[in-house]
Amino acid sequence: MLWKVIRGEQMKLRRSPVWLAFFILPVLPAFMGTFNYLQNIEILKDGWYSLWTQHTLFTCYFFLPATIAVYCSYLFRLEHTNHNWNCVMTLPVSALHLYLAKLIMASAMVIMTQLWVGVLFIISGKMSGLSGPVPPELTEWLVYGAIGGIVICGIQLCISLVVRSFAVPVGIAMAGGILGIGALSKGVGAFYPYTLLSLGMRANSPGGSMACSQVQFMAGSLFYLIISALVAILWLSNTDVTTE
Amino acid sequence: MKGIRLEFYKLRRRKIWVIILVLLVVQCLWGMWAFRNMDAKKLSQGYMQCLYHFSVLNTIMMPMIAAITASKVCDLEHKGQTFKFLLTVMPAGALFDAKFICASMYMVAVGVAQTAFIMVLGKVAGFTETFPPGYLLYYLIITITVTVVILAIQQAFSLLFTNQMVSFVIGITGSFAGLFSLFLPRNIQRGILWSYYGVLMPVRMNWDSQTRIADLQYIPVDWSSFWLLMGLFAMIYFTGRRCFARKER
Repeated sequence: MLWKVIRGEQMKLRRSPVWLAFFILPVLPAFMGTFNYLQNIEILKDGWYSLWTQHTLFTCYFFLPATIAVYCSYLFRLEHTNHNWNCVMTLPVSALHLYLAKLIMASAMVIMTQLWVGVLFIISGKMSGLSGPVPPELTEWLVYGAIGGIVICGIQLCISLVVRSFAVPVGIAMAGGILGIGALSKGVGAFYPYTLLSLGMRANSPGGSMACSQVQFMAGSLFYLIISALVAILWLSNTDVTTE
Repeated sequence: MKGIRLEFYKLRRRKIWVIILVLLVVQCLWGMWAFRNMDAKKLSQGYMQCLYHFSVLNTIMMPMIAAITASKVCDLEHKGQTFKFLLTVMPAGALFDAKFICASMYMVAVGVAQTAFIMVLGKVAGFTETFPPGYLLYYLIITITVTVVILAIQQAFSLLFTNQMVSFVIGITGSFAGLFSLFLPRNIQRGILWSYYGVLMPVRMNWDSQTRIADLQYIPVDWSSFWLLMGLFAMIYFTGRRCFARKER
């Protein structure tokens, strides 16, 4: 059944240009970050690692959470409009499958974005004339970043399910991302969902280890994914739908 | 006037101010966090520090606040499919104007609240710098002006596209470009609408790479950039209004 619901989600998104946002967004820091890196090459001396910071710092804190929020809002907008909840809730599909299908769709987009970020990083580094091999940690940064992004997807899907507005969840993600800087500076990044992305991608310390242990990171990610799935299922099972 | 009243009437139970207030509180929290441990030198440049940091913060957050407000004001018509009905009782241009003025009121309120917060912060933190009413007024005017210009572009896209994702992607991308451009040469900054919080900010940072000391100083108003922004506003507003009026529904 889950596969059929995913197919349904794919059909709803067909011909929708939503993927464009995730395609364009990483291009901007790749272009402007590389330009800034080349302008300040005498201060930024860590080569590939300095370039990585330029590419990912602002993206992880502010803009990728907001873009994920836009995507999640869009995924639920189709249900919130045109009385579609009435139709969805009469289908023989469990609440878990409904939520998981959307989470899988959003996660797939995050994973593809991470791959695109990696490709752009390598191209930018080569074009900047960086000597030395591509950092071997790149795969790890991207994988952990994807996990952090999927956690944000889980939380944002939950918010977009409860809040019927398109705009409000995006504002919440923006506020969440900014407050995450405070959480990171207090050393509680692993316990705050919006910082897992920047922690995983090592946005501000690419050369060193993660600011928390890998166990803490995975436990925090798992906790928020389970909590958001539970809230979504309980909401779908116990709350009467409101249609517009 | 009736159109503006009608817009506020439509929004009366949509609690549009809640998310704006939340984002404003986040901005203020950031301000309080950034200015928590100020030494004597920072206190002597307290208002300059505030104007500088809040201008950077505005580059990140105000485009999103404008995007959210524009989307909330316009999306209700898309959801209710009320454009056909509304346009039988008022011209499309008047509807565009009414929505813009209504949304701008929220932007003015945000700008005033932010400036008031800086004044309160100055008193509470005990800034030793002489209170600069002229620069604060200038800061208020440019914050509102830049946000309202961004609001115009957001509203145009929110009205033209049923899919609100389009306007949000433009808002996020613009905000991102604005933030990055703060590190780029001034001529590039002037070409990016979202970077005008930085272009028109009344304070400049002098960074001495030898001593690694940053110093702030007030700078004269950049009137050429201000008038360029006004030109951009006229172009965006009237193009958006015209496209909306000519759109088939």
